[in-house]
Amino acid sequence: MTTELASSTHGAAEVKPARKARHMGWMFGTAWLVVLSFCALFANQLPFIRTYDAKVKVAGQAKQYGFGPGWTAWLGTDNSSHDVFARSIYGARETLFIGIGATIIGLTVGGLLGVLGGYYRGWVDRAVSIIVDCLLAMPALLLALLLIQRTDQIKETITALGWLTRTEEITITLGILAIAPFARIVRAQTLGLRERDFVLAARSLGAKSRRVIWREIMPNLVPAMVTVAVTGLGILIAAEGTLAFLGLGVARPQTWGTMIDAARDDLSKAWWATIFPCLFLFLTVLSFNFIGDHLARKFDIREAAV
Amino acid sequence: MNISIQASSRETTGPLLELNDVRTHFQTPRGLVRAVDGVSLTLDRGRSLGIVGESGSGKTILSRSIMGLLPPRGTIRRGSIRFEGREIGGLSRRAMRDVWGKEMAMIFQDPMTSLNPLMKIGAQIAEPLRLHLDMSRSDAWATAERLMNDVRIPAAGRRLRQYPHELSGGMRQRIMIAIAMACGPTLLLADEPTTALDVTVQAQILDLLGEQRRDRNMSLLLVTHDLGVVAGHTDDIGVMYGGKLVEMAPTAELFANMKMPYTEALLQSIPKLADASHTRLNVISGRPPDLVNPPVGCRFSPRCPYVQDRCRDEEPPLVPTVEDPRHTYACWYPVGSPEYHETKARRQREAEVAA
Repeated sequence: MTTELASSTHGAAEVKPARKARHMGWMFGTAWLVVLSFCALFANQLPFIRTYDAKVKVAGQAKQYGFGPGWTAWLGTDNSSHDVFARSIYGARETLFIGIGATIIGLTVGGLLGVLGGYYRGWVDRAVSIIVDCLLAMPALLLALLLIQRTDQIKETITALGWLTRTEEITITLGILAIAPFARIVRAQTLGLRERDFVLAARSLGAKSRRVIWREIMPNLVPAMVTVAVTGLGILIAAEGTLAFLGLGVARPQTWGTMIDAARDDLSKAWWATIFPCLFLFLTVLSFNFIGDHLARKFDIREAAV
Repeated sequence: MNISIQASSRETTGPLLELNDVRTHFQTPRGLVRAVDGVSLTLDRGRSLGIVGESGSGKTILSRSIMGLLPPRGTIRRGSIRFEGREIGGLSRRAMRDVWGKEMAMIFQDPMTSLNPLMKIGAQIAEPLRLHLDMSRSDAWATAERLMNDVRIPAAGRRLRQYPHELSGGMRQRIMIAIAMACGPTLLLADEPTTALDVTVQAQILDLLGEQRRDRNMSLLLVTHDLGVVAGHTDDIGVMYGGKLVEMAPTAELFANMKMPYTEALLQSIPKLADASHTRLNVISGRPPDLVNPPVGCRFSPRCPYVQDRCRDEEPPLVPTVEDPRHTYACWYPVGSPEYHETKARRQREAEVAA
């Protein structure tokens, strides 16, 4: 008894700093994302951010990598003498748009599939499982490359689809890739929820399936959905970077991925043009992960297949 | 309002629920589980029936079978369930939806888990009203407040706007009762409604159930493992064992004149206050029967202290007693028969010798 007591107090003392560190993680993440989104949203209005096309000239001449990180251009200039900091902020707009858009697509379609499969079971569930398994079985990168190339081809033949920008294409592609993992997690959560007493109680009062799904299951899925959405967002942003690195990025406005891709050959000459967009990408993904982990702990959700 | 119109147009006597040879079997990898194996009973309007049995006796599955709330796959349902004169045993879930909540409602065991944690109490009580009676939101909430008063929840108006976690277990069970009664059902099924509650709250909930049942002329089927719970609160008692009804009688008659050794054993297993301290608790030795391979003959025979050869070979039918035709039992050598006394005397002698 006494030893148990002693060890438990000891344990508590040991746990404290670790908990503090975890708190710092998600607080840092939130702070970073708040500042970043603020800058990205009001980039046109903020005085310390140059416009997207502004060139930082050296003695009146545009010069490749004219400035290193310093007072004139905080994070240096890139190969066509644009301000890397300003471009990174505008890149955040684009990158976050793609990430959030893809998450919304993945969560809507995947969530719907997962809820239906998990709630109805039977052939619906089997159909959902087959779709999900097929999507998961395919190498994600290859699928993304294929999808983008196909849509490019289709766009060439069907002119009516001309409005579809590259950004939207990538968003949809990444959204499709996100469907399977989201569907899996939502299905697993639904399987647990449908056996809960309050769902049975609602059914025993004569509620229709649609009502049960909307009123009883969906609200209880929200914590899990928010958690996987945040974690997934980080992953999708990194995935966008990968696609851009492979040359399937958004040319204008540049995303972080395209910035990295454009400058990477000159890494030895001008490290700042590659490293700083990388840092933005890294910090943002890290922030989403920290927040995701925090939410998962808070809501007690195991990250199954993210 | 709607509810009162419904109640007055109702018949007040006669049978409400008639079960005839109801069987509910489940297909499992181990084999066919005969959870309910031939139960027949009748529940009159406005009366209450307690179903007593140990875990695995099929009492919960019986209540779920009446409701039609069984897993759709691997379930075999046989026999007839007549409710208000129409057959509901074979109805689909879709068809049962209009019966659920409106004509029969169920109260579940654990009030902690049977309320949606993310919905306000008021919304949960209002839900069946809006669903079945097409009430407007404000009408439904007003009715919900009245129902809350009926189930004796103080400050009903404030409670309506609270979430389940803000209420105690007893309160939540009152809410569950209010929800079940919302649309004025004729039959209330309560599956161990007090098992998850404090002993002091149990009696209040049972009293509330009884009182509401009388006020609204509902019939009540109360499922429990506790003979003490049904003793003062139901008109009749049915004892289930191994998926079968083994004894059924009006409450007073059952306690005065029990026939089935299992009922006797159940009663003896309740500790009595008058017993000296450190008295050994009476237990029923052995395990509940395997419902995949039930014992041949009487299902209680492997555990019965008064077992005879015949009990192991032939299954006793449910027969009425000589004194009271409403009292039925299934036993070859019931409590009070010469064989019963003989075995009992022999057991006592053996015990003395052993001591």
